[in-house]
Amino acid sequence: MPKRLFRWQYALVALVFAGLVLLPFSGDAYYTAIFIIIAIHSMLVIGLCLLMGYTGQVSLGHAAFYGMGAFISAILTVTYNWSPWLAMPLAALSTGVIAYLIGLPLLRLRGNYLAMGTLGMGIIFFILFNELDQYTGGPSGLPGVPGLSVGGFSFDTDFRYYYLVWSVCAVMLLVSWNIIRSRTGRALRAIHGSEAASEAVGIDVPQFKIKVFVLSAIFASIAGSLYVHYLSYVSPNPFEFMFSIRLVVMAVIGGLANIWGAVFGTGAVTMMDQHLGTFGELDVILFGLILVLVMIFMPRGLVPGIVGLWEKWKNRRTKAKA
Amino acid sequence: MSSDQLAQYLFTGLTQGSLYALIALGFAITYTVTGIINFAQGEFVMLGGMLSYLVLDDLHLPIAVAFLIAVIAVSLVGILLERLAIRPAKDAPPVSLIIITIGAAIFIRGMVQQFISKDAVPIPPFTGNGTFSVLGAVVTYQSLWVIGIALVSVVGFYLLLSRTMIGKALRACSINKRAASLMGIDARNMSTLSFLISAALGAIGGIVIAPLAFTQATIGVALGLKGFVAAAIGGFVNLPLIVAGALGLGIVEQLGGATLSAYKDAIAIGALLLVLIIRARWLQTAAGSE
Amino acid sequence: MKDYILSLRNLRRAFGGIVAVADVSLDIEANKIVAIIGPNGAGKTTLFNLITGYYLPTRGEIWFQNKLLNGVSAPKRVEMGIARTFQHILLFPHMTVLENVMTGRHSRSRAGFIEAALRLPRFHREEESITLEATRYLNLVGLGQYAGQEAISMPYGQQKLIAIARALASEPKLLLLDEPGAGLNTMEKRDLTDLLQRIKEMSITIVLVEHDMDMVMRVAEWVIVLDVGRKLAEGTGAQIQRDEKVIAAYLGEDDL
Repeated sequence: MPKRLFRWQYALVALVFAGLVLLPFSGDAYYTAIFIIIAIHSMLVIGLCLLMGYTGQVSLGHAAFYGMGAFISAILTVTYNWSPWLAMPLAALSTGVIAYLIGLPLLRLRGNYLAMGTLGMGIIFFILFNELDQYTGGPSGLPGVPGLSVGGFSFDTDFRYYYLVWSVCAVMLLVSWNIIRSRTGRALRAIHGSEAASEAVGIDVPQFKIKVFVLSAIFASIAGSLYVHYLSYVSPNPFEFMFSIRLVVMAVIGGLANIWGAVFGTGAVTMMDQHLGTFGELDVILFGLILVLVMIFMPRGLVPGIVGLWEKWKNRRTKAKA
Repeated sequence: MSSDQLAQYLFTGLTQGSLYALIALGFAITYTVTGIINFAQGEFVMLGGMLSYLVLDDLHLPIAVAFLIAVIAVSLVGILLERLAIRPAKDAPPVSLIIITIGAAIFIRGMVQQFISKDAVPIPPFTGNGTFSVLGAVVTYQSLWVIGIALVSVVGFYLLLSRTMIGKALRACSINKRAASLMGIDARNMSTLSFLISAALGAIGGIVIAPLAFTQATIGVALGLKGFVAAAIGGFVNLPLIVAGALGLGIVEQLGGATLSAYKDAIAIGALLLVLIIRARWLQTAAGSE
Repeated sequence: MKDYILSLRNLRRAFGGIVAVADVSLDIEANKIVAIIGPNGAGKTTLFNLITGYYLPTRGEIWFQNKLLNGVSAPKRVEMGIARTFQHILLFPHMTVLENVMTGRHSRSRAGFIEAALRLPRFHREEESITLEATRYLNLVGLGQYAGQEAISMPYGQQKLIAIARALASEPKLLLLDEPGAGLNTMEKRDLTDLLQRIKEMSITIVLVEHDMDMVMRVAEWVIVLDVGRKLAEGTGAQIQRDEKVIAAYLGEDDL
């Protein structure tokens, strides 16, 4: 993965960072709320980028893990009166274990089979969320999910929740960044490059695939928990197939092997959604079109693609000058 | 479960299974000739139903004409898909191609929802609502149409592949593309042709089943998944096994639905994921890891 | 009793109806350079794949340093000391030359997801050691100054050397080289044979599959000839050159 950061990229990152830190102070309730959702979705996409961009495995059912975290947190806090701070880690752990058990057989599948397998998994869990209504509340869901608080400090305003979720997102980014720049990260990139050669240097390919799968599931679960404590409500509706596809779109646009791009892709797609959602099915049509065009012309993702074009254009200009 | 009920499940299962067989063969032909799993296959089926609704409702033409128009139109869509979305990305990694066909599927779905209808649309049965009883099961005329047309299509497909020059060319491409091109066969045309055939098969399925089932823009996903698994059971190349798998899937689905109706889809998908995984492991251990 | 580092007993590998390796038995002495030759399709690469564990045998046994390898996973075999290169090189894209060699240290390090994520002390210690060792092996093949280059943009001959450095970085006792000389010019081939000698002096047994008979004659102390999956003959270079069966097998090929 090219890690050469140009000067303007540093400036851009600083600008985005400053913007993110300062946004709630602008008092704009609408955008604050949207960016809370962007942070939560970014957590999902980061895991997906690790999975798809670094081990080259497609997951078309990631909403399932999002839903697991959401429902386990909701059920434990609403039905059993657990503290959210106990429920969330337990949800993450349970989701991780379930992901491990599913991953063992599922990740033996390759390419298209794996894609279909994850698709099927996503659909099965969506059906389970809907049908196990004595626990999940069925299609109407569970209301009354408590908010989050530490001691006397309550995260009951969007302002406070914004910083909470973005802090968690930042930690996930850091964790992922650390993993990428390590022996583990090299192993992941190796697997993506050539599984045969990876095996030849002693990398246990199936183990790594499962571990990344579990890690991405845990990220998704945490996102799910944060989501329901924000909404004070859970229902199966958000965890359907199209959402899993949207996550893939966000990952693709940001650049599959680029976790920073994950945040960008999530933001871009969410904003586009907001502004196009009113024009009938235009957002759906555009999604499809973007997916196709980006994958044809910029297979490594939109952000790397644009950066690549920029570099080519720069080279051509310097050549013309010389 | 009484024998009447059993017979009912069998017949309904056969009807559904016939549809799955058409979808599965569509997957098979595109996969063997191009190496691509076309995630938009289910959308061809949906388009068949939706377009025939459009023709019937707006143009008020007889069902046979609607049938023909819809099949031709969807076949064109298949050609366009191959030309505009697949061919430019020929050498891309599998992940890219998967996402491209998914993107195309979403695009098609969105277009249908925008320009035809977001809701379920009704299509009248070809020859009326009559039914009769076979072994205690209630069999509608329409389900006979389904089974019959599917049978004709499958046989036609088989004859096309085994008896015609085009069919031989398609098979040559699926075995070894380079050798085929050395023999003067244009692999790119064969690619397009395979998409045309799979679109046509899907459309036929979508139209014949439409009077019996929900026809709505969203049905493509689940149908595609089931057709895919049926194709996978036959390893994408074994035609009889694919058809058998499809019919079996239809029946198992009905029987599973008998006990846990809401979980019908989940059971079907779950059972067949199981088959996929077992098959993958069997292939691994029999031939050694690869 | 000779000291055999690798022994194959009645090894067989079939792919459906095609038998790629048919009842091959052979012994490789430690610290020797052994060449496996044979016409195309003789099963040489399949043999390598069986030894590394990439393929499971249909029948037969593989012994490494008197331990049975059957049932031992491929990553474990690397730990035990078997490394290989590939005919198609297979360097990792999107990684520098040094990073490619660093992956070779994977089996000699332990830090996993948690240590990397939390930047625990073991992670830092190992990263330093990995970088140092990888640099050492890269220097060994003479490419130290290219450490920061993108690996797959390097010239073909140098990519082959990087692949060898990557294999050496796992500290193998047995090094399997699949056509290391293919595509190299005469100068590069001489450098390669020198490198092979140096590797042998590190007490590493080398088994190479080669088509270049000059190179084989120059560097190999023992030659095993395979044809259609069977062992046809073995002996010193001079012996197999005179062997009638070998000559017959190669009739029509230009190598001998």
